[in-house]
Amino acid sequence: MASIEMIGVTKRYESTVAIDDLSLRVEDNEFFVLFGPAGAGKSTTLKCIAGVEFPQKGLVKIGGTIVNLIEPSNRNVSMVFENYALYPHMSVYDNIASPLRSRLHRKSEPDIKKAIDKIATLMHIESLYDRKPNQLSNGQRQRVAIGRCLVREPNVFLMDEPLAHLDAKLKHTMRAELKEMQDAFNTTTIYVTHDYLEAMSLADRIAVLDHGRVVQLGTALQMYYTPGNEFVAKLFGEPEINLIDAQFYVEGGKTLISTGIGLTYEAEPDVAAALQTQEHNRLHLGIRGNNVAFSFQGGGEGWLRGTVFANEPIGNSVIMTVQLGPEQIRVVAPNDTNAALDQTVYVRLATANVLYFGADTRRYIVRHNQEQVSSVAHLRRAGREGGEA
Amino acid sequence: MAQLVLKNVFKSYDNNGKHKQNTPYAVNDLSFRCEDGEFVGILGPSGCGKSTTLRMIAGLEKITAGDILIGDVRINDLLPKDRNIGLAFEDYALYPPLTVFDNLAFNLRARKVPEAAIKEAIQRIAPLLKVDDLLHMKPQALSGGQKQRVNIARAIVRKPGLLLLDEPLSHLDGKMRQQLRFEIKRMHHEIKCTTIIVTHDQLEAMSLADRIAIMDMGVLQQIGTPLSVYDDPANVFVAGFIGEPPMNLLPAIIQKTAGGYCFTFQNSTLRIPVPTRYDEVLHNDMRVTLGVRPVDVVIDPDSELSTAIPVAVFENLGDERRVGVRVGENLLSLTTTDAIYYERGDIVKLRFQSEKTHLFDATTGVRIRSRHITVPRF
Repeated sequence: MASIEMIGVTKRYESTVAIDDLSLRVEDNEFFVLFGPAGAGKSTTLKCIAGVEFPQKGLVKIGGTIVNLIEPSNRNVSMVFENYALYPHMSVYDNIASPLRSRLHRKSEPDIKKAIDKIATLMHIESLYDRKPNQLSNGQRQRVAIGRCLVREPNVFLMDEPLAHLDAKLKHTMRAELKEMQDAFNTTTIYVTHDYLEAMSLADRIAVLDHGRVVQLGTALQMYYTPGNEFVAKLFGEPEINLIDAQFYVEGGKTLISTGIGLTYEAEPDVAAALQTQEHNRLHLGIRGNNVAFSFQGGGEGWLRGTVFANEPIGNSVIMTVQLGPEQIRVVAPNDTNAALDQTVYVRLATANVLYFGADTRRYIVRHNQEQVSSVAHLRRAGREGGEA
Repeated sequence: MAQLVLKNVFKSYDNNGKHKQNTPYAVNDLSFRCEDGEFVGILGPSGCGKSTTLRMIAGLEKITAGDILIGDVRINDLLPKDRNIGLAFEDYALYPPLTVFDNLAFNLRARKVPEAAIKEAIQRIAPLLKVDDLLHMKPQALSGGQKQRVNIARAIVRKPGLLLLDEPLSHLDGKMRQQLRFEIKRMHHEIKCTTIIVTHDQLEAMSLADRIAIMDMGVLQQIGTPLSVYDDPANVFVAGFIGEPPMNLLPAIIQKTAGGYCFTFQNSTLRIPVPTRYDEVLHNDMRVTLGVRPVDVVIDPDSELSTAIPVAVFENLGDERRVGVRVGENLLSLTTTDAIYYERGDIVKLRFQSEKTHLFDATTGVRIRSRHITVPRF
């Protein structure tokens, strides 16, 4: 167990900057996720901590000690890669035992057995000891690979996209299983992924990286409900958040939001207060597809008339894209929604859920009730007996 | 424009056209019909025979047995060029020295269509696929998405009776893929060309096709609308293949209790009532595979026949929340949009939505249906 600190770390490959003056601190025992698109610098950051890459600038500290000049093998860091890299000719037991039999960490066989039994119970792999890796399912292989890393009780546990090569459906199960055994890790963990569901599910905190820099640092709920800018807002949530051109103006003491799609409404007091501190009055309104209502029958107050541009069933829902003047708005509809292309449809935005971004800066300004919605406070706690409280 | 009919089509890759007894057919007794103007998706994992099927329709593979008809004409023995088919593959295969316009015009010029008519045809098709601004460019200056647009435009510019698309989106990144999906769908809406798309991506098939044919190991498993294959799967394979997050599929043992039939599970104390509409087809100790989607599992403290079970996993994913419980070796997962959160170890009782609970034969995987359609109890 140890905290990890990176101070002003820069890593260049030839002329490309992989990470750029990056500073972050991971607390002791925290499950920390590095999240971002391909090329953001996630894996490079991980490798600098592991010691397999050397930064040109900056300090890497593990447990308060500067490790820049310490060999990877002496950092007590364990790493799981995307391909699990199990020894194909060894049994599951021997695979897990291998780090404890290495010259560096040599232990006696009875101690090894004890350590493996403990880990295997936690990972649900105690019945697989005699199998070879090719006799395991993907999920079992992953558990063995993780078990092998945990068995030597590393100070730091690094995971580089361990689910990335699984097919989309298996990923859901594997992610849940990973979450289930998280308590067993009991060590500082850094996990790299480009899948927002993995990041949200697993992380105590997330660092969103782009072009080698930290764009935002915070909890999953902060990323989803109060993203720092449009880039982060687009990365979290499926379908991607809608962004609509708008402006605000003050009239008769009211702060009004006006859009190019025929919608004008009054901002809530907390939103109005934050908007009035802004230099420019041009905004982007961010609204998620599940906060837009639709109807094929006539409109009424607050309803906007548009046409169906696309209607895509995806199983448990339909993603309907509505053409509203110059804008296209994605709406999450029930899975039996049947709309013909170009037919008329009315939509209504739940304006209380709008995120406000500056049109020039693309930075987050405010949303209604922001403190409350970005914590678990807006969720009801389930009762301990039989479901709902 | 034409309808496409496949009648008992077989394909074997053995030499001399003779099929050895123990080798499986690449395509095994495949029959389906694609109506005039319809958009059909052929969906399945790699090696299921979907591309082979497409290549037989196109005339790039010999048909071992059976007939393929396009608009009442048996095409088995026609050369590919005489089948009036437009083809677009995953690889764009554009002619690099030619401009986009000349690429589009190539097939028409080969057929000696007058230049004026060629120009007219291209001007009609180019805007549909947003390539009208690219006509003077060479392929190497185009992005992957643009190349695929040109490729598809080239396939439809000669007004084929049938358009065949083989994994046209699988080389493209997420954003571009969605964009092109829109455009293919809208293009089809405009020209109403009978279209077959082959894909391994169930979301792609669902969002594009009017009907989906799902194949596995050379055999057609089910054909139907996206909603019907999702809601009413014919067997375990379709149930597991369609839908994300995937359907929970668990081996279960039926037990008769005082209150009615219940699902029970090996190495688990979990008990959940079976919807009463199945009563007539069940017996005590029967082994089945239970199939229920995460959205159709409900936490219900009042479910009298259910036993309580601890929450193993809780995930807050923003748009929705997921709860997982351990059932022996397996994880049973449910999805909710309710604003409620659980912690590991919380005790819950579960119930399945009656009409959305599926039973499959434990050995064959075939769906077990209730004899009568009953009105849901809730």
